[in-house]
Amino acid sequence: MRRTRFLLHTLYIATLLIPAPAQAQTPASEEPRHAQIRVLPERNTLAAGEILTIAIEQTLEDGWHSYWINAGDSGTPPEIFWTLPAGFVASEINWPTPHKILYSGLLNYGYEDTAILLQRIQAPDPLPTGPLTLAAEFTILVCKDICIPETSRHSFTLNDGTVINHTTLITDARSKMPRTEGWSGTYSEENGVLIATVTPQNPSDMQNIQIDTAALIPYEWGVVDNPATVTITTDKDSLILRQKRGDRALTEIKDIRTLLTYNDKDNILQGVELTLTATIPAAGTAAPSFASDNSPLTAAPGPSQPLSLLTALLFAVLGGLILNLMPCVFPVLSLKAISLSKMSDKEQTYAAVSGLAYTAGIILSFSLIAAILMALKAGGAQIGWGFQLQNPMVVYALALLLFVIGLNLSGVFLLQGSFTNAGQKLAQQNGWRGAFFTGVLATLVATPCTAPFMGVAMGFALTQPAVQGMTIFLALGLGLALPYLLLTLIPPLRKLLPRPGAWMETFKQFLAFPMYASAAWLVWVFAQQAGGMSILAALTGMIAVAFTLWAWGHRPQHKLARFLVSSLILLIFIAGLATGFAEALKPLPMKAPATVASHIPADGIWESFSQNRLDELLQGDEAVFVDMTAAWCITCKVNERVALDIPETRMLFAEKGVRALKGDWTNQNPEITKFLDSHGRKGVPLYVYYGPRDPDSGLRPAPVVLPQILTPALVAATIR
Amino acid sequence: MKRLLKPVMTILAIAFLAAPALVHANEGPVVGQPAPDFAATDIKGTPVKLSDLKDKIVVLEWNNPECPFVIKHYDTKNMQGLQEEATGKGVVWISINSSAAGQQGNLTAETAQATLEKNGGKPSHYVLDASGEIGRLYQAKTTPHMFVINKDGVLAYAGAIDSDPSPRHEGVKTARNHVRSAIDALIAGQPVETATTQPYGCNVKYGTN
Repeated sequence: MRRTRFLLHTLYIATLLIPAPAQAQTPASEEPRHAQIRVLPERNTLAAGEILTIAIEQTLEDGWHSYWINAGDSGTPPEIFWTLPAGFVASEINWPTPHKILYSGLLNYGYEDTAILLQRIQAPDPLPTGPLTLAAEFTILVCKDICIPETSRHSFTLNDGTVINHTTLITDARSKMPRTEGWSGTYSEENGVLIATVTPQNPSDMQNIQIDTAALIPYEWGVVDNPATVTITTDKDSLILRQKRGDRALTEIKDIRTLLTYNDKDNILQGVELTLTATIPAAGTAAPSFASDNSPLTAAPGPSQPLSLLTALLFAVLGGLILNLMPCVFPVLSLKAISLSKMSDKEQTYAAVSGLAYTAGIILSFSLIAAILMALKAGGAQIGWGFQLQNPMVVYALALLLFVIGLNLSGVFLLQGSFTNAGQKLAQQNGWRGAFFTGVLATLVATPCTAPFMGVAMGFALTQPAVQGMTIFLALGLGLALPYLLLTLIPPLRKLLPRPGAWMETFKQFLAFPMYASAAWLVWVFAQQAGGMSILAALTGMIAVAFTLWAWGHRPQHKLARFLVSSLILLIFIAGLATGFAEALKPLPMKAPATVASHIPADGIWESFSQNRLDELLQGDEAVFVDMTAAWCITCKVNERVALDIPETRMLFAEKGVRALKGDWTNQNPEITKFLDSHGRKGVPLYVYYGPRDPDSGLRPAPVVLPQILTPALVAATIR
Repeated sequence: MKRLLKPVMTILAIAFLAAPALVHANEGPVVGQPAPDFAATDIKGTPVKLSDLKDKIVVLEWNNPECPFVIKHYDTKNMQGLQEEATGKGVVWISINSSAAGQQGNLTAETAQATLEKNGGKPSHYVLDASGEIGRLYQAKTTPHMFVINKDGVLAYAGAIDSDPSPRHEGVKTARNHVRSAIDALIAGQPVETATTQPYGCNVKYGTN
């Protein structure tokens, strides 16, 4: 009876082992195979209920690769179909740690040379005595410049009296499997960038990681944009990896099961399996222990060290203080401050009320801007700090505002007691209101200056959950309000101010010029944005406004004449403004993403930046220098003049074969915003240098982010 | 004058604060967003421009006749069957070959025509894109990588042709064909249930520049 069954069983197995009619995708047997496959059991004796580990060893021809369970941008993982005796159960495949394989802009996760997959098979209990044959059909896709699926059939027999032992091979294979120790991780997403924070189980593990080799290799597709550059920073005992996210919404994925791979100090590829959980911003609650060692959400504004909240707050207050000295703000504030010296100590209450109202005006304006910015970002808009100046309407409106203030200071028209006579106004009932609006005005005129100078603090604020971010904006506002607030609250300080006198009128008129200069700069920015006839339109509009303001004070007294002249003036005013704003309303010359990339540098050595172009260049061997700039960014312009657009740097670039890419963020450009984000920045300037490929190892060194202030020596040192 | 200043300031403040609303993000091929426009000439010399095909459902198929995954769908007549079925329903089917010169699957108009005659392919247009321009515009990764664009020019589906990523030919019988489902849903005026999947197959053989 048993014999018959055994015979039947053998027959059954035998039929399975006879090659099936040639299937179309199976290469004819005489074709050389690119993958040599062996399927080897750990041993060939097995008792009832025991588990047997099986090695599936693939040895690939030079230059060919095969795929991990998540193949990446193309390809497909191998498959195995077992024909097992009754009662046997096969486990899932265990995959050794894969590495990244870049081919022609696409990135795959897989293996070159030799890799051993492991699988476990459990015997039933009871187990039939006598030999047992296990058979498998294995299909593997191997690719070089072309892809070929190869199918092979394998079998081995257990308990047939012979002795096979592949323990060494399997032990070796196990050492190449990702580890499953208790590393933890969290992730968040900002502007399409996945930010993963990975904390090794033991802080000492960090010592053994070559940081620039770390990578996230998720088990599922669509989590990260596979070929996108990974930016890695460290924060105490954690690694922070930033990579553009993939095609799937992270909300759909929830927990991310992933490998963290890295080269250890002996240059051996290591993989650790972990699950990244989503961090939910703690909106409406107290800031989570920010300074604690295990902060899960610390974003880095700079290339290496993240700012702590406290440092960021300090920077913000300092930044606000500096804003008082900006050409756009200083005139307004200095006059207001000097007027305080007229007040006697008796008026202290009024002074204090004025100071507090002014502070409230500033802080309210700042929080409004911050709230809108954050709401837009939460809605997914690709904007960063400086976004206000990416709209020509706003730029022109600000130019007009600064110009009008300048005209007022020059005495072209008079505002009764608005800036100069704060002391008198304070005695009046609604003095606080004037002070409040001066605060709003100070914020408005400060705007063009915040974008170029406040990058770091602003950038940090925007990477934070709402509460922390808002705190930083408020600190900035407080900094701006502080000098005036202190003067109003502490009477002795006012004694330090110069005595009022006739010189004040001259000083006031002098202060008009920084305002004109600021306006001129904004008109230039506007012309960069709107192009064409915009300069003429903008200036015409400004002249019309100037005329209106002057003429309004010189209208005739006679009723009818006064009415006619008033109408005429208003007409000119409206026509002038319309001319200026009409230019701003014209559609922005958005760069069509579909245009054939012309790689002829339009601007000397500089090619225009696009992510595709950068990816292309990075595939080559030459060094690449990326300059992210904007017309409204003063720091950028200064750096270009001083350190980049100079003969020495051009020579150096030519000599070292450095390819130069320039991204212009003057107008909205999501691609540049993403690039900035991937480096933890929310604004320009940003300079990134990708060193040339090492001819020996075939690798590029990690990209270097240069400081925001450049010198020729610094650029030269980076490139050499 | 002061009375004038406050409204002006208010308007400026509003303009300043509302400005970001005018800012809008512009992305590559994203399901639910307008599909990037392209213009090309097919192997018969007929011009093809995506934006001229409004009011029609358009299918883009990335093709490399020598890729085993493409062969899987052509040898089993799976792709031709779907092409015929779709074009019969008024769908415009554009097969695009982005294999660069010297790479596997790079064809001339003549060899492409011969390939279609041999395998019985029935696309509305077969476009050669050796420069990879359209491929990169759509970030096409694999052959076959499929895109379905609705009558408003909005990308409705992107990803694999079906649910079986293996190179085994028998897989086409049991797999769920995502492209067919997307076309049928669009024709029925229903939402496309599975709108994004992972494309599988050979990598598109772009040139390396």
